[in-house]
Amino acid sequence: MDFLSLFLMDFVKQLQSPTLAFLIGGMIIAALGSELVIPESICTIIVFMLLTKIGLTGGIAIRNSNLTEMVLPMIFAVIVGILVVFIARYTLAKLPKVKVVDAIATGGLFGAVSGSTMAAGLTLLEEEKIPFEAWAGALYPFMDIPALVTAIVVANIYLNKKKRKELAYSSESFNKQPVAAGDYSDQQDYPGSRQEYLSQQQPTDNRVKIWPIIEESLRGPALSAMLLGLALGIFAQPETVYKSFYDPLFRGLLSILMLVMGMEAWSRIGELRKVAQWYVVYSVIAPFVHGLIAFGLGMIAHYATGFSWGGVVILAVIASSSSDISGPPTLRAGIPSANPSAYIGASTAIGTPVAIGLCIPFFLGLAQALSGN
Amino acid sequence: MAKPAKKLVIVTEKILLKKIAKIIEESGASGYTVLETGGKGSRNVRSSGQPSVSDTTANIKFEVLTPDRLMAQNIANRVAREFFTDYAGMIYLCDAEVLYGESFCGPEGCGI
Repeated sequence: MDFLSLFLMDFVKQLQSPTLAFLIGGMIIAALGSELVIPESICTIIVFMLLTKIGLTGGIAIRNSNLTEMVLPMIFAVIVGILVVFIARYTLAKLPKVKVVDAIATGGLFGAVSGSTMAAGLTLLEEEKIPFEAWAGALYPFMDIPALVTAIVVANIYLNKKKRKELAYSSESFNKQPVAAGDYSDQQDYPGSRQEYLSQQQPTDNRVKIWPIIEESLRGPALSAMLLGLALGIFAQPETVYKSFYDPLFRGLLSILMLVMGMEAWSRIGELRKVAQWYVVYSVIAPFVHGLIAFGLGMIAHYATGFSWGGVVILAVIASSSSDISGPPTLRAGIPSANPSAYIGASTAIGTPVAIGLCIPFFLGLAQALSGN
Repeated sequence: MAKPAKKLVIVTEKILLKKIAKIIEESGASGYTVLETGGKGSRNVRSSGQPSVSDTTANIKFEVLTPDRLMAQNIANRVAREFFTDYAGMIYLCDAEVLYGESFCGPEGCGI
């Protein structure tokens, strides 16, 4: 019961913390139909600032720390990222009315990491004065990229298999040669029907190329800001600008971002309702399951290499988070046939609020209870 | 006499910007204009006015002036075939008369 009371106390305290309060505030004003608009360019700069700050913190920490300590948590981050996609493939995808590609994309997004959730977790640990490895934020890409790559590869393998099966069934309509681009006769017009249009599509290359996916996620706004910060932290001496600019602004900007996330979460709920209800169940349960897996692995690292409890919490928080910023465009490009309303709705409308509002205090309480603090 | 041309308009998802720009360039068009837009279509309201933390839901509108219908059709066909099964999109064609545009009409001008 010790754990439960700790959790409840933390939870009530969390409701009052700026992070969650702004998130809920955003949801409420969006529900009331507020016309408040935070310009998109401001969100872009906030995301940049937050992730650069996290990168800088990690980079400065890595410069002064023992790299061998990082190996095990990094391996665990990669394992969680990949595992999450397969969990979705074999649970969510099997549920009625859920399309397999949509489920895989949802798994990829839940495996990927949300910079804002991680920032909220780091802020709370600082507020609670729980020590953690400053480089723990640098685990981000080690979970994010494997999850997105796995999701895109698994989805494309599935789609190719499905396409081959369909080809085997209806071979006669494919006797027409697909028209090469730029080589149209004058009579060639738009396809008359959707069927004909689909049959014109050239069968895609069966091999999924992994490097372009990695390249795309590295070039995404979130990861490039974070990795830039990391590199600057390691190779330059950014301490002065860090102390005077990035660090003091961090929490204020995070509160604005939380407000926007709350508003966006509300506006996405409607879209989610149009897909299947199973997404709602999945996006409530999945953050806890993923977080617990990471928490368990983190504990192994704790006993094996002395990874701190704060670090274990961060690993669990990034596992329970689902990407809002860099993941969606990567998946949209990588699995075009998946319905973005399904995966973005599940992640933004439910996954992120659950991760920030419930999972962060839950894992914090769990760590406090287990460490006997 | 102003130079007759076709104006091809492609409204689609912002995520496709670079890929469609490449198709337009490969088709031989002398240039294009891109606008950020919002609106409502068969895939729910996709507005640029909503709060958003990522570009995934933003829309763009390409305007391309082409000297003839064939070039416009080539672009439209490629874009539609490559993207429009999975992405939101709409393409239409208008008649246009170019009054001024050196890159389009050449050094002698369009003639007004």
